[in-house]
This record gives sequence, structure tokens and C-alpha cells, in this order.
Amino acid sequence: MANGWSIFIGLAVIVTMSAAAWFFSPKGENQVLWRSSLILTFVSCYLMWAITLLAQLHPMIEPRRSDIRENYLHH
Amino acid sequence: MAPVRDTPFRSADMSMVQLYISNEIGREVVNALGELGLVQFRDLNGDLSAFQRAFTQDIRRLDNAERQLRFFHAQMEKAGIPLRKLDLDVDTLAPPSTSEIDELAERSQSLEQRVSSLNDSYETLKKREVELTEWRWVLREAGGFFDRAHGNVDEIRASTDNDDAPLLQDIEHNNSAAEVERSFSGMNIGFVAGVIARDRVAPFERILWRTLRGNLYMNQAEIPEPLVDPATNEPVFKNVFVIFAHGKEILAKIRKISESMSAEVYNVDENSDLRRDQVHEVNARLNDVQNVLRNTQQTLEAELTQISRSLAAWMVLIGKEKAVYNTLNLFSYDRARRTLIAEAWVPTHDLPLIRSTLQDVNNRAGLSVPSIVSEIRTNKTPPTYLKTNKFTEAFQTIVNAYGTATYQEVNPAIPVIVTFPFLFAVMFGDFGHAVIMLSGALAMIYWEKPLKKVTFELFAMVYYGRYIALVMAAFSVYTGLIYNDVFSKSMTLFDSQWKWKVPPGWEVGQAVTAEPTAPGYTYPFGVDWRWHGADNDLLFMNSYKMKMSIILGWAHMTYSLCFAYINARHFKRPVDIWGNFVPGMIFFQSIFGYLVVCIIYKWTQVWPGQQGPGLLNMLIYMFLQPGTLDKQLYRGQAGVQKFLLFFAVIQVPILLFLKPLYLRWEHNHARAKGYRGLGEQSRVSALDADDEGDNGHAVDGRRHSAVSDDEGVAMIAQDLDDEEHEEFDFSEVMIHQVIHTIGQFPPFVSICHAGKADANSV
Repeated sequence: MANGWSIFIGLAVIVTMSAAAWFFSPKGENQVLWRSSLILTFVSCYLMWAITLLAQLHPMIEPRRSDIRENYLHH
Repeated sequence: MAPVRDTPFRSADMSMVQLYISNEIGREVVNALGELGLVQFRDLNGDLSAFQRAFTQDIRRLDNAERQLRFFHAQMEKAGIPLRKLDLDVDTLAPPSTSEIDELAERSQSLEQRVSSLNDSYETLKKREVELTEWRWVLREAGGFFDRAHGNVDEIRASTDNDDAPLLQDIEHNNSAAEVERSFSGMNIGFVAGVIARDRVAPFERILWRTLRGNLYMNQAEIPEPLVDPATNEPVFKNVFVIFAHGKEILAKIRKISESMSAEVYNVDENSDLRRDQVHEVNARLNDVQNVLRNTQQTLEAELTQISRSLAAWMVLIGKEKAVYNTLNLFSYDRARRTLIAEAWVPTHDLPLIRSTLQDVNNRAGLSVPSIVSEIRTNKTPPTYLKTNKFTEAFQTIVNAYGTATYQEVNPAIPVIVTFPFLFAVMFGDFGHAVIMLSGALAMIYWEKPLKKVTFELFAMVYYGRYIALVMAAFSVYTGLIYNDVFSKSMTLFDSQWKWKVPPGWEVGQAVTAEPTAPGYTYPFGVDWRWHGADNDLLFMNSYKMKMSIILGWAHMTYSLCFAYINARHFKRPVDIWGNFVPGMIFFQSIFGYLVVCIIYKWTQVWPGQQGPGLLNMLIYMFLQPGTLDKQLYRGQAGVQKFLLFFAVIQVPILLFLKPLYLRWEHNHARAKGYRGLGEQSRVSALDADDEGDNGHAVDGRRHSAVSDDEGVAMIAQDLDDEEHEEFDFSEVMIHQVIHTIGQFPPFVSICHAGKADANSV
């Protein structure tokens, strides 16, 4: 469902959203505020999501647990 | 062409204007402009001290009125009368006329007299009351002594008789044998009765004992209830004392000592009938005093309640009036034409509004002489004026706490609206807590109006930052989802990328490790919930969070550095681009940008044997031994790193020297052509010719015209000397640039720090 290509799909999504934010920001003296805030928000959120995904893409360690109960072994 | 509006991106365009206002309406004009809040006046009387200015008298009068109002407030607080709050949203105060202010000042004057006279009489009466109460206690307690003592006068006598002079025995005996009333006076014993503070009893006793060599008999009793000290209004516990002693002189001494110990001595009669009369009298007087006291207090309270209804409004009025006169003191007054001249900075786009306001005031006053607003050109740097709305206000305040941007620089508050709450959320990161915070912020915004009136300081602070809290909470909801944390529990929103690899013969308590469920499947949104509660959870999270901090920090800094380019382009200073922005950016990217690229590259690769190259060691070797590698990340790495390091290092001299050297060249170039800066105070006067023919100052260029008494020169100097004008000083520019260059290094330190923690974890 999700693999390395998701990064680029996500990128395409936020580029579209940013473009929409640029063009559909309400006109007026606060337009610059709307554009800057919305695009920064999209980029920040995307960055965080992408970093998290990348960090788990090729994990170097795997989870280890010793307090697990029998019923949960196969969940 | 439609006028370009001011946006929050830069501070507003400012114009310097000169206002010519007729003297009669000066006060009204300043009042109206003050309500607008768009004008910053310059001080035109900088050379005059505060006492020499035109409106100092008025300010002093208002100060006095303000003091009286504060006095009323203090009195009300003392009496526990609440001040009726002024709701400035509901009732607006019409700008008062001069006569209204005068009336208010007079009224507060007379009220002050009345209140203080009431206070005085109240205090006198209170003192009287305390005295009478004390006296009553003395009468009561001392009466007890006497009654007890009278029962055994004989015994006392006998005891004195035994060791006293036997010669006198008969006389005394004769005198008192057939005593009608058995009295102490018969024994030539006098007494002093009074009241003393309880903590002074012990020293009092000791002093008496020592001075009188033990020739006294002291009796005392505690007054059970505290008495109020009229001077300090504090309750004091006191004792009643009665001292018996021989002889007038000794009694006089006792009295003196009592006075010196601030004990109150009261007159008590020995005779019980007389004493009873005294008690009655004291009681009657006490009653009277208490009645009067109550009346006085009631009158005072009625007076203060009356004042409390309008005190808040008065305070605002006086405060505004004072601000108006303080502003008027900045104006210069032309006596000949009876006009006030003011210089002020106003936002260029608001000039029409200011003109119409002045026109309004003029019309209302029915004055034929118009107020004139004329724009003047100046080389001064205008003030930074940033318009805010209720959303941006709190963010702007945070930014202003660090510093104010120069006129027309990019407003740093623009990115802060997102970056500040976002970085908060990266640290906060809990979905559950974030939802609580979000509902709090939303509640504050929904009930914005009623909550505005809450004066509780802690809440007012949170309320002021309600929009910051809102954005913070919204981002925290998102980061909480990414961290997969809701009240420190995980959410199983998607299928995990891990499943437990159960070894055969597994027993409870035995460690299990996980293996990927399907190759190529990565948990799509946030951190896999399988990590939650795992033994090595911290190991994974530390590595992930440290790397995320580096990448987010790098992104943040790169973005902010771009504002330097926008500023340089706006001010048309290419040297800032080539001397600051470009080398700074290259330096930053060739080290930290490279690190970020490496981090991401390392993530995208599968590392055999689960052992990737350590990125921290890579960065350290890049500096210490360029060309050596701990473990290769990619082919050709050594060469790339050597090149990047070289590229970064040669930016340092460019950063350090390009701009200062360019500025010096530009300065010398202009000098060579015979130009000089406007700020340099050379003589530009026609009177120059008769200046004893020295042309040395033309080269010197720094000669201060302040020493000159020629008026033609002084006029020009006056306009310039109140603002610092940078004469070119190479060393100063250089120091500036060194500081700027050093400013590039702190991220290096913090990133290395983060990297170190990272290395410890993986």
C-alpha cells in the first residue's frame, strides 16, 4: 500500500494543494498572509510525514518485545 | 492606477509630514489623531528641558488631579468599596472640552478636601475610642485589685510592719487603727494604673525593679481582646497594670518610666463608689464616640460610593488629557503666527484619512484658518509600522520581543505564524492532549467577547495568545497522528508493517522480535504502532527524531535565509546578495544541505548486515581528514566531500571581506568625485566665504557646525544632528560583517550536537 513511491505521490498532492492555495487565497491586504501560511503548512506537514515514512522504509532494526502475552502474539 | 495597499509582508510606507495647526484647536486635533493612532510625532523641542515646554503647567495640574483620583481609589480599597468598571466597548467617552476637564479637576480638588477632612476626624475619633476602651479596662481590672487588696490591708500592713522602722509603728497604728475606711493612703502608699503592650511588660517590669530597687508592688492582668492601634490600624494585645509604691517621688518616677515605655496611664480612683461613677461616665462617653464614629464612617462611605460610580471614567479622561498635553509639548509654537508646528511620521496610504480628520476638527471648531498637512522629503529612516489584526497580533508580539525589522524589511512574523506553532507541535506530539488544547483554544475564540473582560492575569495571558494556541493545537493533532500517540497509547489505524516472529517452543516472558509482514510495505501514515511498547522503541524513536530535527532545522533555515535575498533585492543592494546571501547559502548547503541529502539517501538504501555508515563520523572526518572515509556511503564520496569542503571554506573570506571592501571602494570612489554624504556636517552655507578662508575643513568633512554661531549653518545642522548619520568607518563595517559571519556557525554546533545524540542511539 505504501512504499517509496508514496513520497512522490505525496509531493504531487501538496504541490497541487499549494497551487490551489496560491490561486484561491482571498484577495485583499491579507492575501500574502494566506498564501504564505497555507503553503508553509502544507510543506511542513508533508516534510514530517515523508521523514517518518522514509525512516521506516528500510528499517535497520526491528521491534523486540519480551512482555508480550500469548493472545497478542498473532495480532 | 489603484494605490498599492500595505500588506503584512513589509512594514507600511511612511511619509514625513509637517502639520500647521491653529493654536486654538491644537488640543482637539491631537485628541482626534490620538484616537486614530496612526501618527508618530517627532520631538521638535529636543533642546528644551521638560520644565521649559509650553504645556508643562497643564500637565502639572493634571498630574495633581490624577494623584487625587488615585487617592480616592486607595481610600475606596481601604473601605472595601468596589470600583465600577468601565466597559470601553459599550460606553465610549466623548472627547471632553477644556472646561469639562477644569470642572473635573476642581471637583476632585474639593472632594479630596472633604474626604481627607472626614478621614482626619475619623482618625481622631478612633483614637479617642481606643483611649476610652483602655480606660474602661483599667477601671475594671484595677478595680478587681483594689477589691481584693482591701480585704487584706491588715496583712499587707503587718508584713510591712515587721521589717520596717519600728519607731513609726505607733504613729501609723494610731492613724489607722480606727480607720473609717481602710485605705492605702493611710499607709502612705500610692499607685499608678495604666495599660501597656503585652510584649513590653517584661522590660517594663525589669526597668522598674532596677530603678526603684524593688520598692514596688506590681499587679497586672491581660486584656483578653486585642485593641486596635489607631496609628497603624493593627490589633495589639495589651495588659493592664497597677503599681503600688511608697512616696510621691517614686510615683512620679514610675509615671515617667511608664510614659517612656509608651504605656498609657489612666486616672483611677481608689474609692469604689467613685470608681463606679467613673465607669459609668466612661461608658457613656464611649457610646457617644462610637455613635459619632459610625456616622462619620457612613458619610465617608456614601461619599466614596458616589465617587466610585464615575472614578474609572475620570481616570481615563485625565490619562488621555495628559497624553494630549505631552504630545503638544513635542510641537514647536510659532508665537508670531499663533500656530503649532508638528512633524510626524504617518503611513503614506493613510494620509487622506488624516487630512479628513483634521478637516473635521476644523469644521467642528468653526475655524476659518485651515490646518495644513504638507509632506516633506527627508533622508531619515522611517519607523517600522506593522499593521496587525487580532490573528497576527500575538505572533507579531513574539517577533517584536526579539527585535524590530528595519523599515520595509520582510516581516519575520509572516513565516512565524506557521513555523513557531509547527515546531511546538513537533515537540508536543500527542493527539489526545492536542484535542483538549484545541477545544480550549476554540472555546476561547468562540466566547471571545465575554472572555475579553476577564482580568485574571494568568488567563488574560493565555487569552491574548488564543490564536497561537489554536494553530499550535491544530498542528499538534497532526503530529500526534504522525507519532501515533494518543494519551501515550498507540492507534492501530493501518495494518502494521511488522509481525511477531514466534520461535518454536515460545514461553511467556521470552523475547520475540518482529519481521516484515510483506516486503515493500511501509506503514503509510506515521510511526508503526508495533514500535509502541517495544523494548527497543526508544532506540528507533531517538534516531528518527534526531534526523527529523536536523532536516526540519535545515528546511527552516534555508527558507529564512531566502528572506535575505528578498530584502537585498528590495533595497537594491546587489552587494548584499553577492557578499552575504550567496556565499552564506553556499556555505550552509555544502555542509548541512549535504548532510540532509546523505540522511535521506541512507534511508532510501538497503544496508546489508543492518549496518549503515555512521553519518556523524562522516561529517567529522569530512573536516578533520578530508578524503578519508569511515565507511563508504556511495561511490566517489571522498571526492565530493573534498570539493564541498573546499567550496564551503572559500566562502568564508568572501563572507568576511567582500561587502566591507566593496563599501570602502564605493565610498572612496564617491569621495574622489567630490561627493559627500548629506549627513556629513560640512558647511553648505553662503556665509562660508568669510570663514577665515580655510579650506581644510572641506577635506576634513567632519567639522561640526555645532561650534558655529552662523545662523545659516545652524538651520541645516538642526535638521540633521538628532539622528545618527553613519560616516563611513571601515572598522565598524568590518566588525559588523565578522559578527554576521559568525552568525552562520551556531546551527553547525547544534546540528553536531543532535548528531552526537543520534550516534549514541544507533
